[in-house]
Amino acid sequence: MSNHAEILLCEDNSSDADLTIRALKGKNPSANIQWVKNGEEAMDYLLARGSFEKRPIEYKPKVILLDLKMPKVDGLEVLKEIRNHPETKTIPVVILTSSNEKRDIKSSYEYGANSYIVKPVDSQKFLDSVAELSSYWLSLNKPGY
Amino acid sequence: MVDDKPENLLALERLLIDFPVILYKAENGNDALKLSLHHEFALALLDIQMPEMDGYELAELLRQEVKTEDLPFIFISAIYTENINVFQGYEKGAFSYVTKPFEPEVLLNKIRFFIKKYQQEQLLIEQQEQLKRTNEELESFSYSVSHDLRAPLRAVSGYSSLLLQNHKNQLDEEGQKFLNIINKEAGRMGQLIDDLLDFSQMNRLKVNDTDAISMDALILECRDEVRKMYPGVSPRFFINPLPKVKANRALLHQVFVNLLGNAVKYRKPDQVPVIKIEARTDEVNQQYIFSIKDNGVGFDMKYADKLFGVFQRLHSNEEFEGNGIGLALVRRIVNRHGGETWAESEPRVGSTFYFSLPAVIKQQELVN
Repeated sequence: MSNHAEILLCEDNSSDADLTIRALKGKNPSANIQWVKNGEEAMDYLLARGSFEKRPIEYKPKVILLDLKMPKVDGLEVLKEIRNHPETKTIPVVILTSSNEKRDIKSSYEYGANSYIVKPVDSQKFLDSVAELSSYWLSLNKPGY
Repeated sequence: MVDDKPENLLALERLLIDFPVILYKAENGNDALKLSLHHEFALALLDIQMPEMDGYELAELLRQEVKTEDLPFIFISAIYTENINVFQGYEKGAFSYVTKPFEPEVLLNKIRFFIKKYQQEQLLIEQQEQLKRTNEELESFSYSVSHDLRAPLRAVSGYSSLLLQNHKNQLDEEGQKFLNIINKEAGRMGQLIDDLLDFSQMNRLKVNDTDAISMDALILECRDEVRKMYPGVSPRFFINPLPKVKANRALLHQVFVNLLGNAVKYRKPDQVPVIKIEARTDEVNQQYIFSIKDNGVGFDMKYADKLFGVFQRLHSNEEFEGNGIGLALVRRIVNRHGGETWAESEPRVGSTFYFSLPAVIKQQELVN
C-alpha cells in the first residue's frame, strides 16, 4: 500500500475496481493507485485519518476517480465533502460511473466534478477510456497544489 | 351546517336525509371553526344572521385558513345582496346564495353541484398522485437498469477479454472460440440495455418547440451514415425532393438511419440494395407521407403488426443481427411527433416503410 498515490480510486464494486486498476497499470505500469471501497475510506485517506493516519497529508493524489452509486455514503456526498474541505477542495475529481442519467451528470457538475465518464460495457472501450483518462490527468493536467 | 336556530338545522338535516354525505352541525361560528380543524369539508351551509359571529365573518375566517380557504359556501339567508364583496376572501373560492323562503329543490341542486365538484376534484388528486408514483417507480427502475445491470456485464466482458489477452496459450482453439462468444454476447447485451433505456427515455422526451428542418439535407446525412455502417455493400439510393417539417432533428435523424439501415441490412445476398426515398402530401389529413422502398428480402404481411413492437423480430439472429428495438423506436418517435408508421411488403421482392408527419408549414415557406 503506497502512501503517495497519484490516483485515488473510490469504487465499491471489486471487479470494476480490479479492471480499472489493470487498465490504469496497462498503460502506466508504475502508476501508484490507492483503492478505497467507500466514501468514508476516501475521506480517511485524503485527510490522513483512521487507518491512514500515518500518511503525510501533504501528498495529494493527482486525480480522484469516484463512482457515484456506493453503499452508505454515495459518490455525490463524497464529492460534496471533498469540495467543502480546505485540504481537498482543489483536487480534480473524475466521476467514473455506469449512470448515463442526465440528473446524475448535472448534479455531479453542480457539486464541482471536473469530468464525468460513463463506464462502457464493452471491455476494449472500457480499457481505452480508463487508459486515456489516466494519461490526461497524470501527464497533461497541472494540478493547483 | 351553521345556524344559530336548532329548528333550522333540523329542517336542513331532514331535507338532506337521502344525501350520501356526513353532516356536521354547529350553532355558532366558533363551533364551526373547531369542527373545521378536525374534519375535511366538501361544502358549508352558512346562515348569515347569527349573534356574536355572523355568516360573513365566519366565511372570512375560514378563507384565512389554508385548510378551508377554498371551501365552497352556500349562504342561506332572508336578506339578499347583489354585492359580492360582502366578506374578505370571497375571491378564493366558490359561493352561492339561497334566500329564505327557498324552494327545497333549488338548494338541493346547488348542494349536488358542489358535492359532485368535490368528488371530481378528489378523484383527480388521487389519479395525479397515482400517476406521480408510477412515474417515480419507472424512473427508479430505469435507473437501476442502467446502473446495476451494466456492472456485472462489464465484469464478464472485461475478464473474458483479459483471459483472451493474457492466457490465450492455455486454451485450445475451441476454448478460445467459446470465450470469444461470451465476450461478444456480453457486448450485445450491453447494447441491448442501452437501446432499451433510450427507448424508455423517449417517453419523457418533449418534442414541442421544434424547428422547421430540411429533410433534403437530413436524408443525405443519414444516407452517408448508413453507407459507413455497411462498408463493401455499396447500396444505391434514389432520393426525391422532400418537404420541410417541424420536428426534432436528432430524433428524425434516428428514424431515417434506422429505416435506411434496415433497407440495407435486410438485403438479398445476391443483389445490390436499391433504395428509393420519397414523400407525398396527403391534403385530406394535412400531412406528409414519407416512404422508403427497398428491394430486399421482404416479409410476410401477416406479421406486419408485429414489426413495430419492442423486441419483436421476424428474423433470427443468425439470418440478420438485431435486437428488435429499431422499428419500435421509429414508431415511438413518429408518434411523438403526431404521425403514424406502417409498412407494405412482399417476400423476396422488397418492402416499403411509410411514416407520416403533420404538414404544419405553410406552402410559401416550403418554396423557400
